[in-house]
Amino acid sequence: MQQRTQGTWVIILSFFVAYLLAVVPFPDWAMNYRPQWVAMVLIYWVMALPYRVGIGAAWMAGLVMDLLEGSLLGLNALALAIVAYITLSLHQRLRMFSSLQQSGVVLALVGLHLMMTHWMKIAAEQAVASNLLFLLGALSSAFIWPWMFVLLRQMRRGFGVR
Amino acid sequence: MSLEYRVAAFVVLSVAVMFADSRFDYLDRVRFTLGFLTAPVYWLADTPARISNWIDDVFVSHGDLIEENERLREELLFAQRELQLLAGLATENNRLRALQEASAGVEGRVLAAEIINVSSTPGTRRVLINRGATDGVLLGQALLDANGLMGQVVEVLPFTSWVMLITDSRHGTPVQVNRNGERAVARGSRGDVPELELEFVPDTSDIEVGDLLVSSGLGQRFPKDYPVAEVTSVVHDRGQPFAVIKARPLAQMDSTRHVMLLTMTENEAERGDGVAPAWVDTTQNKPAVPIEEQIEELSASPQEEVLNPEPDSVSPDEPLPSEVADILPEEPTTNQQE
Repeated sequence: MQQRTQGTWVIILSFFVAYLLAVVPFPDWAMNYRPQWVAMVLIYWVMALPYRVGIGAAWMAGLVMDLLEGSLLGLNALALAIVAYITLSLHQRLRMFSSLQQSGVVLALVGLHLMMTHWMKIAAEQAVASNLLFLLGALSSAFIWPWMFVLLRQMRRGFGVR
Repeated sequence: MSLEYRVAAFVVLSVAVMFADSRFDYLDRVRFTLGFLTAPVYWLADTPARISNWIDDVFVSHGDLIEENERLREELLFAQRELQLLAGLATENNRLRALQEASAGVEGRVLAAEIINVSSTPGTRRVLINRGATDGVLLGQALLDANGLMGQVVEVLPFTSWVMLITDSRHGTPVQVNRNGERAVARGSRGDVPELELEFVPDTSDIEVGDLLVSSGLGQRFPKDYPVAEVTSVVHDRGQPFAVIKARPLAQMDSTRHVMLLTMTENEAERGDGVAPAWVDTTQNKPAVPIEEQIEELSASPQEEVLNPEPDSVSPDEPLPSEVADILPEEPTTNQQE
C-alpha cells in the first residue's frame, strides 16, 4: 500500500499533452474532425486506474479546459464529470472489451460530451445552434482510440503508474 | 459515498460555478489569475507556427529579399504620399468640425499583435491574440488587420486576449454605407460561411452590391470610418419585412496572422465617445460661457485659481485636467516598434 500513488506525473503529463493537442490550431475544414483528446485521455485513466482518477479529477480537468477555451467556467467540468461517471460505472466491462467495442463506447461517450457542451453553450448564449457536423469529432476520436489506448497502456506499464 | 451521490454533487457544483460565472463578475479575477497557467499551453501550441514563420524568414534567398525590399520601399513611398495628403485633410476636417462644434474624427494609437489561436468551438468565431493585460489591452478594444475591422476584445488575460470576430453570429457591428451614409447593423452570419448580414434594413434603402461598409462609430465601441465589409448580395423579397443584404468582411479573417489593436486615446476612453482626439486644438471650441459667470465661478472657488495659472480657461463644464491632457503632447508609445 505504500506504493499506492506512483507516477502521478505521467497522468499529468498525458493531460498536458492532451490540452496542447486540443488547442493546436487546425485548418478550417478540419475543425469538425478535431478529436476530443482530453475526454479520451480521461476515459483511459478512469478505466485503467478508477481508484485514482475519478469524478473529482475529471471535474478539475474540465475546469482547466474551460479556462483554456475561455468558455463558461464549469461547462466542460460538468460534461467531463458525467463522462467519468459513466466510464466508472462501466470500467470493468470496458476492460474486457475488444478494441473495436471500446471504440464504440468512446464514440458514444465523446459524442455525449460534445452534445452536452454544445447544449450548455447554447443555453449560456456562448454559441448559437448550428448543424450537427461537430459530432464528427466523436467519430475521429473513436478512430484514434485504439492507437491511443495502446500508447497510454505502454506508458502506464513502462512508468509503473498505479 | 456512492458514485451517484458524488456525480450529483459535482453536477450541482458545476451548475453553481456556471451560474456564478455568467451572472456575477467575481470569478473574472480567478479566471484572470489562472490565465498565467494557460498562457504556456498556448505558447507551446503556437510553436509550430512560429517555427515555420522563422524558417520562412531564415531560408529565403538573397534575391527574393532584395526584390521584396524594393517592393516594400515602393509601397511605403506610396503610403507616405497618401499619408501626407491625409494629414492635410485631417487637419482641415478637424477645423471644419471645430467650426461646427461637432465631435471630431478618430485616429488613435495602434499596438501590433499576432493571432496565436482560433477557437475550436462550433458556432463561435473567436481568436486568441498574443497581447494581454501586461501589454495594456482593455476590454472592448477594436482589432484591425491591414484591410479592415476584425473584431473586439471580449476577454483579457495576463498575456493573451480573446477577440470576438465581427463574423461571430452574436456580434453586431454598427456600419454605414460609405457612398451615402445609410446606417445599419451588420451581424455575423449563422451559417458556415464567415460573412455579415445587415439587419432590419428597409426595402427602400439605397444599398447596392459593391458598396463599401465602414464603421459608423455609433456603438461607441469601434472607431468611425474604418472599412468593415463589401456588400455582396442584396435581395428584395416581398415576402419578408426587410431586405436581405449580405456582405463580405474585408479583413482577412482566416489567413492573416498579423493584426493591430486600436487604442483609443485616453480622452475618448474616459468620456466613452469619439470627442476630440489629443491633437485637436480644444481651445477653439470651448463652450460659450458668459464672462460674468466665469468670474463668479472664480471668486466662488479660489483654490481652482491657484491650480490654474490661466483664469480664463476655467469653467465648470470643462474640467481642467482633460484640457491640459489635450494640449500636452502625447507621451511616446513604446509598443509601436514591433
